[in-house]
Amino acid sequence: MVNKYLYINILENNLKNVLRADLRVNSKRADVFCIIETMKNQIPQIGSSFPRNDAAAKVIGAEKYATDYYPGNLLWAGVKRAGMPHGRIKQIDISDARKIPGVYAVLTRKDVPGTNRQGPVHKDQPVLAGKKVRHCGDPIALVLCENRDTLEKALSQIRADIDPLPGVFDMDAALQKNSPLIHEEHGNGNILSNLVIEQGKGEKGIDECDFTAQEFFQVPMQEHAFLETENGVAWQDPGGRIVIVASTQAPHEDQDEVSYALGMKPDQIRVISPYPGGGFGGKEGATVQCLLALAALHSQGRPVKMWWSREESFAAGYKRHPARLHYWLGAMKDGTLHALHCRLYYDTGAYAHFGEEVMTAGMEHAGGPYRIPNTFVQGWCIYTNNPISGAMRGFGVTQANFAMERMMDILASKLGIDPLKFRLKNALTRGDKNPAGITLTHSTGIRDCFEQIRHHPLWINREKWKSRAGLFKQRGTGIAGMLHSAGYGKGLPDGAIAKAEITKHGCIRIYSGIPDMGQGNAATLLQIAGEELCQEASGMELIQPDTDKTLPSGSSSACRTTYTYGNALIKSCRDLKKRLIHRAALIMLADSEDGLALVPGKVRHLLTGEEVSLKVIAGMMQAAERISVCNYLMPVAKDMPDTGKDFPPGFPHILFSYAAHLVYVEIDELTGCIEIKKYLAVTDAGRILNPQIYEQQIHGAVAQGIGYALTEELLLEKGQILNPNFADYYIPCALDIPDMDSLSVETTEHSGPYGMKGIGQIGIDGPLPAMANAVKDACGAEISQAPITGQYILNKLQQ
Amino acid sequence: MLISFCLNGELKKLNISPDRRVTDLLREDFGLTGTKEGCGTGECGACTILADGEPRLSCLMLAAQLEGKKIVTIEGLSDGQKLHPVQQAFIDYGAVQCGFCSPGMILSAAAFLRQTPEPSRDQIRESISGNLCRCTGYQKIVDALEAAAKIMQEE
Amino acid sequence: MWGSYPNAQVYAGGTDFLVQLRNRKRDASVIICMERLEAFKGVQQQQNMIRIGACTTLSHVLKEPVIRKHIPVLATAIRRLGSPLIRNMATIGGNICTASPAGDTLPPLYILDAVLEICSEQGIRHIALKDFIHGPGQTALMKNEILSCINVKIPQKYQIHHFEKVGKRKAMTCSVASLAGLLKLDHKGVIKGVRLAWGAVGPRVLMSEKVERSLKGMQLSAESLENAVQQGTEIFSPIDDIRASADYRRKIAGNLMRRLVRHVQPDAGYQIRPDTRIRQPENI
Repeated sequence: MVNKYLYINILENNLKNVLRADLRVNSKRADVFCIIETMKNQIPQIGSSFPRNDAAAKVIGAEKYATDYYPGNLLWAGVKRAGMPHGRIKQIDISDARKIPGVYAVLTRKDVPGTNRQGPVHKDQPVLAGKKVRHCGDPIALVLCENRDTLEKALSQIRADIDPLPGVFDMDAALQKNSPLIHEEHGNGNILSNLVIEQGKGEKGIDECDFTAQEFFQVPMQEHAFLETENGVAWQDPGGRIVIVASTQAPHEDQDEVSYALGMKPDQIRVISPYPGGGFGGKEGATVQCLLALAALHSQGRPVKMWWSREESFAAGYKRHPARLHYWLGAMKDGTLHALHCRLYYDTGAYAHFGEEVMTAGMEHAGGPYRIPNTFVQGWCIYTNNPISGAMRGFGVTQANFAMERMMDILASKLGIDPLKFRLKNALTRGDKNPAGITLTHSTGIRDCFEQIRHHPLWINREKWKSRAGLFKQRGTGIAGMLHSAGYGKGLPDGAIAKAEITKHGCIRIYSGIPDMGQGNAATLLQIAGEELCQEASGMELIQPDTDKTLPSGSSSACRTTYTYGNALIKSCRDLKKRLIHRAALIMLADSEDGLALVPGKVRHLLTGEEVSLKVIAGMMQAAERISVCNYLMPVAKDMPDTGKDFPPGFPHILFSYAAHLVYVEIDELTGCIEIKKYLAVTDAGRILNPQIYEQQIHGAVAQGIGYALTEELLLEKGQILNPNFADYYIPCALDIPDMDSLSVETTEHSGPYGMKGIGQIGIDGPLPAMANAVKDACGAEISQAPITGQYILNKLQQ
Repeated sequence: MLISFCLNGELKKLNISPDRRVTDLLREDFGLTGTKEGCGTGECGACTILADGEPRLSCLMLAAQLEGKKIVTIEGLSDGQKLHPVQQAFIDYGAVQCGFCSPGMILSAAAFLRQTPEPSRDQIRESISGNLCRCTGYQKIVDALEAAAKIMQEE
Repeated sequence: MWGSYPNAQVYAGGTDFLVQLRNRKRDASVIICMERLEAFKGVQQQQNMIRIGACTTLSHVLKEPVIRKHIPVLATAIRRLGSPLIRNMATIGGNICTASPAGDTLPPLYILDAVLEICSEQGIRHIALKDFIHGPGQTALMKNEILSCINVKIPQKYQIHHFEKVGKRKAMTCSVASLAGLLKLDHKGVIKGVRLAWGAVGPRVLMSEKVERSLKGMQLSAESLENAVQQGTEIFSPIDDIRASADYRRKIAGNLMRRLVRHVQPDAGYQIRPDTRIRQPENI
């Protein structure tokens, strides 16, 4: 079914977020915005694949990302970076740089007010390094120039006199007793965090097992590689407030982070978040925001623009934690899992960022979606002089799930049990305790996911397919199960404040406090509003975050955005609905609200058919009456394992999505190269609100997982990234990803809007283990590291 | 240096430094920010424009190379009344997520479909192999282009 | 133009040159773009010679019926080079002059015995491609000379045109190893003529008379190819770099020869036909 759109003056929506008249807008494009419509007159409803509201502006190039803001009279800002992994700063000579014509200012540490400390959780990262540099990308000076060409020249003229310190580049070295310290004041060597989860008999349970397996796994640093790099624009308005337009996942949090870093009051900072061009976790936590605010404090009202080149994004942006995972897994001879012992090491690089939280998430998911009565999970999060690892889709779980799902196959093989049967036998169901010791009181659909695989023709016919491998080819199939938490977890408020308005013109406007970085929460929220208020797409709009207009609703992350904001929005919509109905009753002189219903554009008295338009009703309402603000806080676990009491906020979780993946691979014996022939993902997403958007998320996550599994690896040498560009860091292109089958198991998550729960991340946890298992099936090679390159496989084939 | 070229159907004459990068010229001098920059080295395809109907990487073009050419950016793809079938299909088939790769992807694909009216899915994938997307996993883009190909054939 | 700007640097497509400029690997105050020099563009067949203008874009070369019909090995290689966007701008002359050990047009042009036409104010000279490239990024191009044309003699009676490239991704990827091959078989499958060239496993494209001799007169089979692999082991001199290890490159360079047996496998769906066809191994 093909639907068409009408969008006239799409820029109007963007203009609402524009403060200054001199922010450049290409008004000629208004002509281009005439598009034929029919969809306008349909109600976006729950369960339908209603086309996304943001798509039209994006396909005609009208949507303004942060990169597209070019305010008049602007200055360009650029960062001078350490270029060495560890050292003490003696002096930074900016005198030559300052003399270059076109250089407006050169700022160093001494120009930074406040604490000079940023970080989304731990505040250990300088805005501009003053005493020490801890990784090659550490910023040491900020240059403001009239144009970009001068910027390059100026940066090259800054001379930093840094005394090199011995660098620490791997976790073993970092853990040595006399290892150089990355953060001398930290007080625990280079260990940011070291925690334990223990259930039942802990590691002693392994001794009771009939069958055990042991393996060591290693996974690399991965790059988000969003197409829109870190960037933004900032200026100081005449009242002294700093306004930042940034590509960000957490504008309200940015306000706090900037205010702490620069010693300003949060209300002195305004953050505007246009649709980001991808985020995947890499834009959670300030990237350019503190630097831009600093620049704006020194630019006498002139707007400052900073846009990281791709190479700079590689060097200075946040990464997925590389990890090393030791696993011991044991089962009884009847196939029941009995014990898990694992040691998880996460390299967080020079600064903490989300390191501890990533580690605890990995630990919480270390046992996969299975019942394991005895667990001993040890986690270490370690500082090194490598680039900073932070939040990346998967958030510690992707690493651990690789190990756990390989172990499941290894153990199944020892037991002589089919790997799918083995997983089914041990799969969690609602009411079970998970390996972290938490009782699963919410929807738990993993068993159904495995069952769907079991009944799928791809599983049933796999042996036949494998037997038809051609010359020089070996075929194999592999499965993986997974679970992924939703929400921030216990100890942190996972809340949203929805703000819904009936405008003076009778339109519904939603003020979303959470950016839509591509995952489609904006469109889904509009569907929720459409469902609640029975309004057509043309009668509704959603604006992206602006801290002056939207309300704190947490970050765009953690599979929480539609769930948390959606729940709050339902309340707001119902509240608005009540007011509209009440006002309509007054207008129509109805003595009861019962017979009144909201229909597109109007309220109708059902018995008489009398109608009053929303425009009229809104016209009579006072401004405050037209807005409904409602909040929602996600439920948290009531239980907490004893060992979990030392955990930082964010553990444990109570809500999880589940999935099972099946992959067909073909290995070339001559080159070792793998080709994915088929990919099947079955996901428990609770109730699916928009099947098209659900599929978008699964496809996208699986594709990133395939990159992680086959080609992506940041190569480091003494803290320097050797492949900081797209020529040498390979993200999959259109020829590398096969057609994927994405199915769903629809459980009902009663706490979620209409029964949904978030699935933004889970898809990325499957490809690596599924493919590793498939490779083993194909050629017997035991895969214990990523990426699974041709070189790695060929070496294995020849062993 | 004086150059003249056709931009989205309008003749443009301007005095410009011949080595100004075309991406910057379009985005900053003409305010046509639909053309994006993702890498600056021709690897990602976000900067794709059409030059005499052929998709090209504007981040690897200098202003002097525009002389006499017919340039179409994403803003100029539709006729102002109706979306191009590729644009419409992108909306209908869920091929847009963050949308940053979409302008470049759409232009590459529109040019390809004009040349190859009945492509297979593999051929479609090959045609957009120079346009990287990090959000979609490409599948819905291929779905959209398959559908757009059929519509373009009917038109 | 060089008269006024003797130190000017030239480029055609810019897909290598402009990237190097950006990365500061080159310094050029004056650059000359050759993309519009019609005299150096286009593909012509003159009897049994094919002349390819150096400034012809790779897309254009790929589309030419003459190329697809007579030298499909070159077409197959071009199709795996970069992406359609890159090919719309990159030129065959550029790929040659960049002289990367992994340049994908090079192994096919080597086995086709390409002869280059170089012109300057002084006139035109000819040089065989294999004498033109001295090492990575080093060619026999003198100051103020430009590569104007590539001449290729149409290979007679070679039924099998083979090209395989190994890379980490299916497009936009630098070759880790590549093999171009031409095979002439008689009606019994005996190899009457063979030309082989490897890319990315040495500082320049590698060919081996020893390997070719070992195959001539033999039935095309797994055994004869195995023998050829043994003969060829010492010719490869790959490097370790961020894309692959030398050891891996050496192994697969030999293995790529084994792939040639596909052309005779009765169940692989290929038959030797007298007319020339692009032969692509499955899944490349």
